Amino acid sequence: MTHRPSSRGGALGGDLDGGRIKVGVSDLAVATDGETLTTSGLGSCVAVALADQTTGVRGLVHAMLPTSAETDTGIERPGKYVDTGIERLIAELETAGADPGRLEARVAGGAEMLDITDAIGPRNVERTEEFLEAAGIPVVERAVGDGVGRTVRFRADGRLVVRAADGFERVL
Amino acid sequence: MRVDVRALGACNRLAERGATQAAGALTDLTGTDLSVEVTGASVASGEDLAEAFAGRESIGVSIGLRGGLEGEAVLAFDAANVEALLSLLPGGASMGRSAVTEVGNIALGGFLDGWANYLGKGIDMTPPRYFEADGAAVLPDGALAGDGVFLFESRLDATTTDLDFSIYMLPDSGQFRDLVVGKTAPAAAPGADGGARKSGADSTAVPYESLSTFASLAKRGSANAADNIAMMTGLETTVDVSRLRFVPLADVPAEVGVEPYAGTVFELQGEPSGYLAILFEEESAAKIAASMLPTEPDEPLGGMAENALCELGNVMTSGFIDGWANVLGTSITHSPPEFVHDIGSATISPLVAKLSQRQDYGFVIDAAIQTEGVETRCDVYALPDERELARALDRLSES
Repeated sequence: MTHRPSSRGGALGGDLDGGRIKVGVSDLAVATDGETLTTSGLGSCVAVALADQTTGVRGLVHAMLPTSAETDTGIERPGKYVDTGIERLIAELETAGADPGRLEARVAGGAEMLDITDAIGPRNVERTEEFLEAAGIPVVERAVGDGVGRTVRFRADGRLVVRAADGFERVL
Repeated sequence: MRVDVRALGACNRLAERGATQAAGALTDLTGTDLSVEVTGASVASGEDLAEAFAGRESIGVSIGLRGGLEGEAVLAFDAANVEALLSLLPGGASMGRSAVTEVGNIALGGFLDGWANYLGKGIDMTPPRYFEADGAAVLPDGALAGDGVFLFESRLDATTTDLDFSIYMLPDSGQFRDLVVGKTAPAAAPGADGGARKSGADSTAVPYESLSTFASLAKRGSANAADNIAMMTGLETTVDVSRLRFVPLADVPAEVGVEPYAGTVFELQGEPSGYLAILFEEESAAKIAASMLPTEPDEPLGGMAENALCELGNVMTSGFIDGWANVLGTSITHSPPEFVHDIGSATISPLVAKLSQRQDYGFVIDAAIQTEGVETRCDVYALPDERELARALDRLSES
């Protein structure tokens, strides 16, 4: 799990003022100090961005598979699965001062990249929606599905910038 | 003597810890945030290494090991990255040598602490020795002879630059293998050395000697693929570098990176099953496709180029899997090609996700194939089912 303090020197301008925290595949991280959380190369994986706008505490998980119930490798990295990843992220956000009752979600990814690998992308999205609904967290914006890779930046203002492989950028 | 291929996973985790220590040391020295992007472990023969290191220059630090583990360990930066490294260090070039020594010492110390804990024995380090080396001279003494060397390679990512460094460790004689084998004995099942253990469908234990067979898979496959391209295009084709690495599956997308790639992916059936992806950078993809077409295509990566790349993928993949099937004495078939053109890591992520349901580590074959006249490079990611691969290697050693 990446959980580092913000980097020094914030003279870059733009949305990287508070530093950058990279979130790898099967990883999750929490930002409490205005950092931008980034994750790149989302194909069938799903990125779930959770924010408590009142406290400014935010978190991002980059999950690869829908549920830990389908695995026989053990759950060494909770961020690998949508269910254990979101669950852990909510817990980490709460520890960092967020109120779970105030969280809102933005979701990106879950593309159908390949025909030969079933529908992992759509199943990731489905599981994400189910899990968030059960947790009482509203999904306020989403950029999911299709057959396109995406890279995301979760800004300090709680907005999620989604950049597609063709360079097209949306702010959720 | 048997070794569990998953023990390499433990090695990998130790290497990751060492790399993280190194990143921390560099962050403190430079004030630039650095994170460890990828760490891979591999076993390579002396011959392959000499070839892979030809023309490369390195700077770094070497230390001798005594106690729980004897031998030599080296931390090396690619000379191409030296300027980037020095520009990050306080005092710049003048401080370079001592700062590099300091970084190397701290990183190797962290790396070996991890090993000492794993082995339950202390490891003493001799004082660090700074070096600048050409080619394979960077490797620990004796790496080019005998069974080869365990390589741990890590890539550090700074906001502004990539900073690759490698840790190479060559433990003396049979001591290291005894330790790894000793540690993995429970996973390798009782009676593993006898002929009693027949099936063990879930076992990932293979005879230690099979690790070299393992390494030769990469080479045989790439050579075959190159031959096939040459036959198809009439362009003389050579295999640039090939190595088989052991990496955490979750790191594979980061390794592929976020640049756009075009190429083909295949599903493999047989022993082992799995996936194979052949990815070209856009420019290379367009170049090689154009070289195969009778007329210049309207679009560099349009429908005609897509067909050409699929056909190329087909012959390369048959080359690879025929090579493996020959080495392993098994039969492997592949699906029709699926064309991909997207962010590299996004393309590979569904394959990784699929395999991740059963395993946490994968084997990646790095093959840069150059066709004369047309300079192209491609990366081949072979992601076999680890249990099936282990089973095939196991059978091979019995026959």
